Amino acid sequence: VIEMTRPNGAQSDRSVGSRTGPLSGVRVADFCWMGVGSVATRLLGDFGAEVIKIETRKRIDTPRRLPFYKDGSALTYGQEVIDCDPNKGGLFNNYCRNKLGVTIDLGSPAGRDVAERLISTCSVVTENFAPGVMERWGFTYERLQELSPGVIYARMSGYGHSGPHQHYRSYGPTVQAVSGLSFVSGLPKREPSGWGFSYMDNQAAFYNSLALLVALLRRTRTGAGAEVDVSSVEVGVSLLGPILEEVATNGRRTRGDAYPTGNRLEWPQAAPHGVYPAAGEDQWIAIAVFEDEQWRQLAELINDGPATDERFATAAGRFGAHDELDQIVSAWTVTQNAADAAETLQRRGVPAGRVQNGRDLVEDDPQLAHLGTFFELDHPVIGPAKFEGVPLHFSRMRPDHWRSAPLLGEDNEYVFKQIVGLADAEYDDLVTQGVI
Amino acid sequence: MTDTNAELPALDGIRVVEIANDPAGEMVGKLMAQLGATVVKIEPPEGAPSRRVGPFAHNRAAPNPSLNFTHYNLGKQSAVLDLTEQERHARLAALLTDADVLLLAMTPHDAAHAGLDPDALAAAHDRLIVAWITPFGPDGPWANRLTSDLVGLALGGPLHTCGYDDHSLPPIRPGGNQGYQSAATFAAIGIALALIDRDKTGRGQRVDVPMHECLAVNTELAVPYWIYPRVVVKRQTCRHAQPSPTAPALFPTADGRFVYIVLVLADKKPWDLVVSWLAEAGMAVDLQDDRFSDPQYRQDNFSYIQNILECFFLIKNADEAYHEGQARGLPIGVLRSPEELYEDEHLASRDFFEEIDDGTGTHPHARSPIRIAGSAARPQRPAPLLGAHTAELLGRASTGVRSDV
Repeated sequence: VIEMTRPNGAQSDRSVGSRTGPLSGVRVADFCWMGVGSVATRLLGDFGAEVIKIETRKRIDTPRRLPFYKDGSALTYGQEVIDCDPNKGGLFNNYCRNKLGVTIDLGSPAGRDVAERLISTCSVVTENFAPGVMERWGFTYERLQELSPGVIYARMSGYGHSGPHQHYRSYGPTVQAVSGLSFVSGLPKREPSGWGFSYMDNQAAFYNSLALLVALLRRTRTGAGAEVDVSSVEVGVSLLGPILEEVATNGRRTRGDAYPTGNRLEWPQAAPHGVYPAAGEDQWIAIAVFEDEQWRQLAELINDGPATDERFATAAGRFGAHDELDQIVSAWTVTQNAADAAETLQRRGVPAGRVQNGRDLVEDDPQLAHLGTFFELDHPVIGPAKFEGVPLHFSRMRPDHWRSAPLLGEDNEYVFKQIVGLADAEYDDLVTQGVI
Repeated sequence: MTDTNAELPALDGIRVVEIANDPAGEMVGKLMAQLGATVVKIEPPEGAPSRRVGPFAHNRAAPNPSLNFTHYNLGKQSAVLDLTEQERHARLAALLTDADVLLLAMTPHDAAHAGLDPDALAAAHDRLIVAWITPFGPDGPWANRLTSDLVGLALGGPLHTCGYDDHSLPPIRPGGNQGYQSAATFAAIGIALALIDRDKTGRGQRVDVPMHECLAVNTELAVPYWIYPRVVVKRQTCRHAQPSPTAPALFPTADGRFVYIVLVLADKKPWDLVVSWLAEAGMAVDLQDDRFSDPQYRQDNFSYIQNILECFFLIKNADEAYHEGQARGLPIGVLRSPEELYEDEHLASRDFFEEIDDGTGTHPHARSPIRIAGSAARPQRPAPLLGAHTAELLGRASTGVRSDV
């Protein structure tokens, strides 16, 4: 689904027009880089904020350098291509759509001066550096308040801006480890399986988006700006679920052989509840039986007669025979096409679904196609590419997808001349000096 | 211009009515209550389903409360209203006249069964924001499919990348109801965007939040890996699924725990940090020899280096390795169990856990991770007893509480 929110060929015209959406009129000096910060401010740009991404040419943002190329062979995440084109990276395109892009050398006094003049035109400043980096450039909350009274200063970090570990280095996987999210994921009696992606880069980003929106709401109602401090580790802990209460209230110790429980649930005692092999390589089907009738419906499909086995008639009986049930269910699923079997089960009222991979989501999922989840924008270097949409559908507003990610420094002239108000000669000087 | 209201909680004065059949909806209400909103949970006469799901306090069910319910419903009020009785919808309408948000979390079938029509409710209350979390969306080919946390994570994509190197094992669901949590986060964002819009336009609106779609945009790299190089990534134990295998990142420690660290061989700085750490423990072996200064040589001898590192961590306790490594500037993590979080000095110094009397005793509960300096956080209140606020909010008549039947 190509979502064209603008007439007149926005795909070829990359110049800035007026933005629509609830955040139109909000200008953001966005110092974010890497994953968490860029994903957090992406949402602001999607809904109309003028997000000005500030980059340095001396240290190219990692998502620009990672080899997510349409025409390249698939390299492992973390492998970087030497002397790569910073405008070719697909991950950056994914993270930075709908943003303006400028370059400033913040290591130079002239660069910091330009940054201050830019900040003074913005009502929101965002950053996800290690604590202390913004301060070294002089960008304390106090200074930002002088530059832009009522400013919202969003600080996104792994551990937060106080406490003995605030300078600890983190990224998604270590946040998942330290917050407990890795430990609670895995089969019993084995090492944790944890996470196969940086879930906490995403969730921390989304919580940072939410924190910014709440701060904006509060400013409208009270006039007060704020310094916002979101620690990814704390977000992770807050996502652990009822096990936190069980440990605190019942004194449960989770280290031992029985925890975590893999794909089985402890509460409610659902069985069979698991991920079962289907026909084909790496094909799986998830089945979650919560009710007796759901079991009867599943059992009817299986030939060997589990439907009549009285031991499986009750939830308690099934839960006690989970190992045996898993074998019975697997012996059936392994002969089935995952999507077809899931469809059959769903028609019978049994919660079930194929384990879908990235290809399945983008190419084959009829519900995502119906919702228009993936949309397309053109990019001068990358060409047309699909983007992950916002999973929110409003009755009176929609995301304003006006442009793919900025080329490095693409909007320097517009931002520094039109917004900051640099004279042509001053602008040219800064270019010559390598400041912007 | 700043007024004294700035010292109030960020969402002070916002009123939310929550009708939620799953943890996604309940989590949104909790998040908003933590930020200062008043959240009224509408429950059927028998109580919300989550009250009957364990674990239970002191490992015994009713009358002991469900800790599942406690977790997702801290700080809310509870009013009993039997919505299967159509005449009681007038009571709901009365409650919605001064509400800012109606939060629904249920399937299209259940909404129809309860007589809840989001469009009609939004139309009847011009300033109301009606947020509706559904498993797959209000319409479309899968609208009436059933879900669960496991099924949601499977269809939505995150599950495919989680599990073990051994692919004879199935993908493994990560813990903590993250399918529901993903929908909750986006629903809260949608509500906040609609509130911001209402400040400009004076009008509320409906916002739909399909959990399936929230998960499909929450795979991090699996979708970009398909969109760009068109590759399906492969699961690996407790580390990123990748196009091709990478080295293990989980290291067992002397105390039977684990640390997480990725050995970066290409860059000089992290390499030097690791080698100096090993040398201090007398375990650098020959890694300080000149030939290891060549990144290509390090790459060629990867498994040799990895073996040395495995031995090194086996003589260290996990916390020791975590703090020593971090002190040296290495991004290393310790795999904490839930009970260990309450002893973490960093979380303690940030006062992240708050001791409150939750009805079963005084216990620590996590605060909101959204910290807005200057806005106060009220002490969290316990999860409500069933119908504790019915009389106050709905009057005694026509609500479906047992006393009026």
